[in-house]
Amino acid sequence: MKQNNMLAMILAGGRGSRLHDLTNKVAKPAVAYGGKYKIIDFPLSNCANSGIDVVGVLTQYESVLLNSYVAGGGSWGLDARDSGVFVLPPREKADANLDVYRGTADAISQNIDFVDNYNPDYMLILSGDHIYKMNYAKMLQAHKENGADATIAVIEVPMKEASRFGIMNTDPETGRIVEFEEKPAEPKSNLASMGIYIFNWKLLRKLLVADMKNEESNHDFGKDIIPTLLNDGKRLFAYKFKGYWKDVGTIDSLWEANMDLLDKKNGLDLDDRTWTIYTEDVPTLPQYISAEADIKRAFITQGCVVEGEVKNSVLFTGAKVGAGAKVIDSVLMPGAVVEAGAVVTRALVADQVKIGSQAVVGSADSEHIELVAKNVKG
Amino acid sequence: MARALGIISFSENHIWVEGMEAYRSIPAFSFLGRYRVVDFPISNMSNSGIDRIQVYVRRKPCSLVEHIGTGRHYNINSKSGYLQMVFADSQEDKDHYNTDIKVYAENLDRMVKASNTHVVIAPGYMVYTQDFDALLQTHIDSEADVTLLYHKVDYAKEAYLSCDYLDLNKQKGVQAIARNNGTTKTRNIFMDTYVMKKEVFIDLVHAAQKASSMYTLKNIINDMCGELDIRGVAHKGFFAPIDDLKGYYDVSMALLDPKNVKNLFSDNWPIYTRTSDSCPTQYYETANVKSSFVANGCRIEGTVENCIIGRGTVIKPGAVVKNCVVLGDVLIGNDVHIENHVVDRYAKITRMKEILADPSKPGYVKRNDTV
Repeated sequence: MKQNNMLAMILAGGRGSRLHDLTNKVAKPAVAYGGKYKIIDFPLSNCANSGIDVVGVLTQYESVLLNSYVAGGGSWGLDARDSGVFVLPPREKADANLDVYRGTADAISQNIDFVDNYNPDYMLILSGDHIYKMNYAKMLQAHKENGADATIAVIEVPMKEASRFGIMNTDPETGRIVEFEEKPAEPKSNLASMGIYIFNWKLLRKLLVADMKNEESNHDFGKDIIPTLLNDGKRLFAYKFKGYWKDVGTIDSLWEANMDLLDKKNGLDLDDRTWTIYTEDVPTLPQYISAEADIKRAFITQGCVVEGEVKNSVLFTGAKVGAGAKVIDSVLMPGAVVEAGAVVTRALVADQVKIGSQAVVGSADSEHIELVAKNVKG
Repeated sequence: MARALGIISFSENHIWVEGMEAYRSIPAFSFLGRYRVVDFPISNMSNSGIDRIQVYVRRKPCSLVEHIGTGRHYNINSKSGYLQMVFADSQEDKDHYNTDIKVYAENLDRMVKASNTHVVIAPGYMVYTQDFDALLQTHIDSEADVTLLYHKVDYAKEAYLSCDYLDLNKQKGVQAIARNNGTTKTRNIFMDTYVMKKEVFIDLVHAAQKASSMYTLKNIINDMCGELDIRGVAHKGFFAPIDDLKGYYDVSMALLDPKNVKNLFSDNWPIYTRTSDSCPTQYYETANVKSSFVANGCRIEGTVENCIIGRGTVIKPGAVVKNCVVLGDVLIGNDVHIENHVVDRYAKITRMKEILADPSKPGYVKRNDTV
């Protein structure tokens, strides 16, 4: 809290049901991405790099793995005396019944006591399932310069896709938000909300207390809190983000986000030493590439053993490709094994799944990426 | 609760790794692209349940201190256990008074105070894996005063020339510790690894000081072979002392053979190291990598064969790197052809297009050098 008096809360309760079997046992923020990361590493690393010391992680759906993953915060350096990562699942309290988080705003409301311990000036609300690099300190600076009550990060999306997003209509000169429309049929702007908000905590606290008692409310930031602020004539500003940003909602988009990393000048640039994305450290050998291996355009991490052909693919921690096997346009998640002679094309092989010797999965001309979540016999 | 206090020792004066050791001590040498040499003895101890470890540091401590830090990455309870670095007063090279005994004596009060009953001493300059808890049990069961770990080799004529060997009788009693002079093929090479009761260790430190101010622990134990019950225990698995540049190069190359990797690593015996948070390695369209260990954070566009590539190294298109140990953050420029070299950290090779050496005498490119 010493650095900028801003506390961050990451909404990490989402199931991500369109990721099917990948999120059967883990919440979407705990899904693996980019060889060695989990999606939640991105907001957590952004916090660490932006000088935010205290982060609450609001969990709900299948949170055991996520809890053990983020607890302590050491992986992101957030374990100094005045900092910490706190896992906040719904809990029973003396004056309230145990209740699931009814919406994004309710998740914060139920943890007002936690926030009060720190008494921050500003509250940063983040989503746990987006992939991007962003300096929240700069956003806070803009928030202060605008004398804003709330600032919402927005990204320009293609106009034809704008109706899929929450759209901010702004004063083009000042960036002040005049209107918010959730998934408008006829969008007036292409500035999509990224689900990243900075609020003045005192104001937000008041609104949340009122919202908790409002039986009509969905207890949601987009549906309730932001419209209330606009109705009350508060100063809301859009903060334009330029750069790589991806909400990986589906198997296709998760695959695509991994494939993006193969481009030499990809927008995410995980090799950027000024903005490192931190993750859990795993003791493994470095990657071993055998004499028969053939690797072209690939992103491969520690613990992998490659004895076959890997083209245009991303291999996560400990993935193995046997002799004569082919992995083309695919993603092998942590510990996935492609045995000798097997062929994997346009597929996403889930954690620890084994593709038996000589088996064939996926196809080059499939419309969608094949998710392989169970062992395939050879 | 571990019975033994772990001690990681430094190398003796006669050991010198040309080039690399000018920048850091052997325990801090990069190993297999991802590790440092010291990760092996510390992980061996940690995996054996030894959670109080002293790492003795004689010279050039910077790199080692940076790597070990708080020691959290070694999976040791940070309250009931500790990983402590103990520094020699003098850091001069070739200071013959600056022996292990001298530093042990200076820090004897720490050991006296520790509740541990035994000490396990392992070198910070040799690579092997060993369950020290099992070794300690063997030692206790044998009722010997001192147990020494050795590795039987049959090419002691050509290698291990900086090492000592154990002269063993049929009952594995140690009759002498002597320098391997390369005259005999088969030798029981001493792994500079000791197990004994703490009191025995303290007595030996005092006895060594009395005997000679240049004495090492090895010297005094050799003197005591007649008086004490000193036994050898054979080590199984991969073993490599790092005692000169060729030795460092050879052990790295040896581990490109999967058989040796199997002998050194196992899934239930993790080797811990400090993470650098580098991203995975990027192989581009023109990359051609065979028979190599590659660390994370590299960007590869050239040809790499039979190499160890350290973290964050960049290999440009047209470059050919063969039989090399390349440390971290090195740049190998377009069309550079390099073979049989150890390339130290941060080196940039761009202008010299052909850098070749004979594998029997590997070359060395200096740290931070621009070539």
